[in-house]
Amino acid sequence: MATISTIRKSISITPGFLAWLAFIGLCLLIGIITAIAVFTEGLVITNMSDTVPWGLWITIDLSAIALGAGAFTLSALVYLFNIKNFRPIVRLAVLVGFIGYTSALLTLVMDIGRPDRFWHPWVFWNVHSVLWEITWCITIYLTILVFEFAPVVGESRLFARWPWVRTVAHLMHKVAPALALIGLFISLLHQSSLGATYGIVKSRPIWFKPSMPIMFILSAVAVGPALTMAIGIIIEWVTGKKKIPDKTIRSIARFSGFTLLAYAYIKFWDLAAATYYGNTPGINSAFELLNQYTPYQFSFWVLEVILGIVIPAIIFIFPRFNKRPALLVLGALLAVVGILFNRWNTTVTGLYVPLSYSPGTLYQSPIGAYSPNFVEWGIAIGIIGYALLMITLGVRFLPLFDQKTTH
Amino acid sequence: MSEKKKKIKVKFTRGDFLTIFGAAAGSVVVAQAVTTGPLSPFNSMLQGQIEGDYEHLHHHGGNVHWGMVIDLDRCIGCEYCVRACSATNDVATDKTWNIVVPEETSTEASFYFSRPCLHCQDAPCVEVCPVGATYVRDDGIVMMNYDRCIGCRYCEVACPYDARKFNWDERTDTNPYIPTWGIAEVDRRPRGVVEKCTFCSHRIDAGLDTGLVPGVDPEATPACVNICPVGARTFGNLADPESEVSKLIEANATIRLREELGTEPSVYYIPPKEGL
Repeated sequence: MATISTIRKSISITPGFLAWLAFIGLCLLIGIITAIAVFTEGLVITNMSDTVPWGLWITIDLSAIALGAGAFTLSALVYLFNIKNFRPIVRLAVLVGFIGYTSALLTLVMDIGRPDRFWHPWVFWNVHSVLWEITWCITIYLTILVFEFAPVVGESRLFARWPWVRTVAHLMHKVAPALALIGLFISLLHQSSLGATYGIVKSRPIWFKPSMPIMFILSAVAVGPALTMAIGIIIEWVTGKKKIPDKTIRSIARFSGFTLLAYAYIKFWDLAAATYYGNTPGINSAFELLNQYTPYQFSFWVLEVILGIVIPAIIFIFPRFNKRPALLVLGALLAVVGILFNRWNTTVTGLYVPLSYSPGTLYQSPIGAYSPNFVEWGIAIGIIGYALLMITLGVRFLPLFDQKTTH
Repeated sequence: MSEKKKKIKVKFTRGDFLTIFGAAAGSVVVAQAVTTGPLSPFNSMLQGQIEGDYEHLHHHGGNVHWGMVIDLDRCIGCEYCVRACSATNDVATDKTWNIVVPEETSTEASFYFSRPCLHCQDAPCVEVCPVGATYVRDDGIVMMNYDRCIGCRYCEVACPYDARKFNWDERTDTNPYIPTWGIAEVDRRPRGVVEKCTFCSHRIDAGLDTGLVPGVDPEATPACVNICPVGARTFGNLADPESEVSKLIEANATIRLREELGTEPSVYYIPPKEGL
């Protein structure tokens, strides 16, 4: 129908597109070469150490999963709460979610010491472990995303020859509400458990707090849809076609803006509890150490709070700003930067603080030090290449924007 | 409005709800049965591991909780325990299982603090492991299953005592402490897994099988305890009131590291007489 013909027309190889593909190819090449090096040489070629055993890759895992949260949030809003306004973007959200989760899994396989045993959590259960629960949730949720996305692939012209594929895909579409419900349940569980991964570690005072899971899920719900919105706007710019109604875009912006405010609210009281109305020795000395040896104040206040929360929230909420797509993209990118630095500060900065266990001195070992080396950046570049490739393929070959439901 | 032309608006009834959650619950039960339950092909594997570990307990019976008492007043900081441990367990010398560090009391009296794995009975590392590769044995020893560890390093992050080390590389070094301080009694751990002190469980298990008493007979006692020239370390059964460790705990004021965390370590310290 109309969908098919528009897609067919849009396929043309321009020099710009070729350059774009070359860029993606270069990223992937760097990633693959680095991955081979890591598999053969081991994690010794990274800058991680026994003091800071988690680094850039864990930051990417956490961020990618948080940024994929648009999928469950928007699916739930559309299919469970029946808010039709978000409908035109839900397919893109599911694709972005799928890319986020697969990126996280790819990075995780690089990060574990025994990639050949990646399947162990599925077979050897430790139901006490939040990491075990996260592994299961991510596996289940990735399956849900595949099912949610199947109709889009089925409708693509790749399968025009086999009508039964389309029939099956259409059947899948009917179970969308059920998938959205399970997806919501599973996502609420693991998005917050990622925060609990830190929140339950009682040996590290700046992690050990009940607000951790709440802050993780709120930030994910706020920024996930915003990233999907930004990608949608960029796709419109590149393809030169209006695909998402302005009303939808502004609804997402407002939704993200208010969720960012909720996140900021929890963050404020969290900070107050930790530093203002309680002089908890462990927490205070840990923050003192961080401020003394790292630019923690800057990365927290400027990158996480002002750039990552306040400015995006202002852009997303005020009508004079959220009518301008360029500003919305800027706001979403800032919010993404905020998420990245939040996960980095949580993980890496948290690990800088030495453990306090010796009976004599407070910190028996020196403060940790870590900065990712070119191997770790190489994998990061490869992952970015993978994400860009998937988006490009999606835009080129799949009916991402359900024509029938847009006006 | 163009919504009327399709029937996307699916009614979500109570029946649907029950079906979905029934199916979800059902799948959990099935998954449990297939992976770890009675239907599991891995069951024999798991069972084998458990029986292998606990065999000696069933043979010898009794209530056993292996523990250690470290007298900080006696320790002279010679680091013999570090070397003997490194030789016996073939541990890399730059990331030893035992550590010895100089410390000061609040009254500025100096003493030496040493630390093996504390073998917590409520161990954070055991709680967080996503694959159950580390576990507390019935006799209180916190063990690693190096064949199961995936190398995620969560245990290393979660351990409050810095007692775990990750094998970032395949080891090719020659251990300088072999044979002067002992010979390797266990295999080197492969690249990509986390390793830790075992209380020399291989000695304990083998010793019990030949009727020896760990903590009394050197062949069945951790290497660090045997080598100590000043007798700062004592090993034995905490559950037996007649054991040397129980008597020391009875006779002295002892502390455990970061007791407020509730990890229930099996290692007790006798503080210096100047206090801490």
